[in-house]
Amino acid sequence: MTRDLWKHLILILGALIVIAPFYMMVSYSFKSPGEIDRGEGGFFGRQEMMVDERCVKLRDPDRDDVAAAAPRFPNQTDSQIRDALVAEAVADCQMRPIAFNYTKAFTEAPLLRYLLNGVIVTASIFLIQIVVALPAAYALAKLKFWGREAVFSLVLFCLLIPVHAIALPLYIMLAKVGLTNTYAALVVPWTISVFGIFLMRQFFMTVPDDLIDAARMDGMGEFAIVWRVMLPTAIPALLAFAIFSVVAHWNDYFWPRIVVTGNRDLFTPPLGLREFKGDGDGSFFGPMMATATVIVTPLIVAFLVAQRRFIEGITLSGMK
Amino acid sequence: MPVIACAETAQRRTAWWLTAPALGLMVLILLIPVVIAGVLSFTDYSLGNDTFNWVGAKNYDRLFSRSTYEKMFIATFTYVVTVVPLSVGLGLGAALLINSMGRIGDIYKTIYFLPVMATLLAMAIAWEFMLHPSIGMVNRTLEMSCGTILEIIPFLKNGCADRFPLWLGDKDYAIWVICFIGVWQGFGFNMVLYLAGLTGVHRELYHAAEMDGAKSGWERFRLVTWPALGPTTVFVVTISCIRAFQVFDTIEAFWPQGGGPNKSTYVMMFAIFEKGIQQNLIGIGSAITVLFLIFVMFLTLIQRWLVERKVHY
Repeated sequence: MTRDLWKHLILILGALIVIAPFYMMVSYSFKSPGEIDRGEGGFFGRQEMMVDERCVKLRDPDRDDVAAAAPRFPNQTDSQIRDALVAEAVADCQMRPIAFNYTKAFTEAPLLRYLLNGVIVTASIFLIQIVVALPAAYALAKLKFWGREAVFSLVLFCLLIPVHAIALPLYIMLAKVGLTNTYAALVVPWTISVFGIFLMRQFFMTVPDDLIDAARMDGMGEFAIVWRVMLPTAIPALLAFAIFSVVAHWNDYFWPRIVVTGNRDLFTPPLGLREFKGDGDGSFFGPMMATATVIVTPLIVAFLVAQRRFIEGITLSGMK
Repeated sequence: MPVIACAETAQRRTAWWLTAPALGLMVLILLIPVVIAGVLSFTDYSLGNDTFNWVGAKNYDRLFSRSTYEKMFIATFTYVVTVVPLSVGLGLGAALLINSMGRIGDIYKTIYFLPVMATLLAMAIAWEFMLHPSIGMVNRTLEMSCGTILEIIPFLKNGCADRFPLWLGDKDYAIWVICFIGVWQGFGFNMVLYLAGLTGVHRELYHAAEMDGAKSGWERFRLVTWPALGPTTVFVVTISCIRAFQVFDTIEAFWPQGGGPNKSTYVMMFAIFEKGIQQNLIGIGSAITVLFLIFVMFLTLIQRWLVERKVHY
């Protein structure tokens, strides 16, 4: 029993260190700038009403506003009307810190657009990877043809090359054909997943030949066999690969950083967050952490819901 | 029989049709760039120029003579040599502890795996706040120890008397902070691989070892667990090395310009990015790329060799 206690103590200490930045990220996304500066307010902050200075400044009344408001305030001087208007603006610009942080996250930068880009890019990468890898894996596993061994050795060799490592020549090639700052640039280098081919081939090797022969008897062509027979049998492996692929590309920062410069419409979520950080001043810690929370949350939630599958998918590369 | 021969030709042709897209993309996206990097590393090419000059091995000369690149190698190897053993060791330690405690351990497993799933860039920014010299959680926690018995630790004593480290702004600490975040992010992944490996260790082996006189837990670990985890370890070490070589996100997030205080965190990926992409010095960037590829390929080849030769039981 005491030994178990020690184990728990060690593991809990580790867990605290692992959780600390997550705790801080979520907590700051709830707090007002003052609370962040002074380090008060516990996890949720006190959620006292705060005034959004920028919003007040935007509504700063000019002479026309004062003239327009004159009927509402009869028998008052211009400066009195002005003060009343400012007071109104301050009242309207009051918000709870949590609402302030999250609305700022979505309004200061087109965060929705970034998230959409993230979805578009990760989904296209995954779909193209499958369209390319599945037929090749089937041919390598189940068809006899001259050159099969050579192709497979090439696959094994390409497994040695990390795409991030050859980013520079890839960037030059894309620049030469004028594709930088396009969706294509974000997707193209990842369309070939040698690892996917290898994985699917290993999986298809275990599918009995009879299944394929039966399909041929029914008059199915090889293309039809790939998509209508092999694909359904490979669903579990595909799911694991999907998780692997989506996690890698949703979180990827290096490649988008290289091929997307300046064009905000193409920013993926990590790039958007980076830009936010670049031009943020001290008072924007809250909204920035809100952005970070929004970006991190989808995968974390998915992971918590389907833990076993995620761990399977992420550690796929470890399966032999 | 002509019919069968015909069917075979047909099958061969379809097979090529099925592999052609993958084959084409493999050549175009993976092989040609490696060749391009190799060729350009001997030139002074930059994007926008129509021509380039062959400069021989000048780029490589530079890599091995300039102090900037010496710092690059030091930073990269410091990172790899620190992060790989620590993340593998902690991964193994966590796996052994969790494995020994049954279902409750799953909670720790989930928690330790969180950093693997999270966007590293976002977490880097969170860490940057944690490490903020005045309002960060780390230094605030350290300040709490001031005036308590803990002050006998020299580090805390100095911190309380003067001030606590700037962490990211201090050239003595910067690389270690990066290493720490690398370990923080990566050890959960190794833990999960080790947990998978541990399920493959047969109970009978422990009994057998006990019969042979392996009484202590350490003996059992040394004689049974560790050898049985051999293949997992080889894989975990290799993949940790390759990932460690590719560290970039944290460094770019903390120091967009220049790779840290006094270039103490100027790692290879950042150098490729800065020289090749930002400064358009493609020749030198390509030379770094080539060295990088050699390191990574060398590591993977060692792994394959070990897997084939030694670690099958």
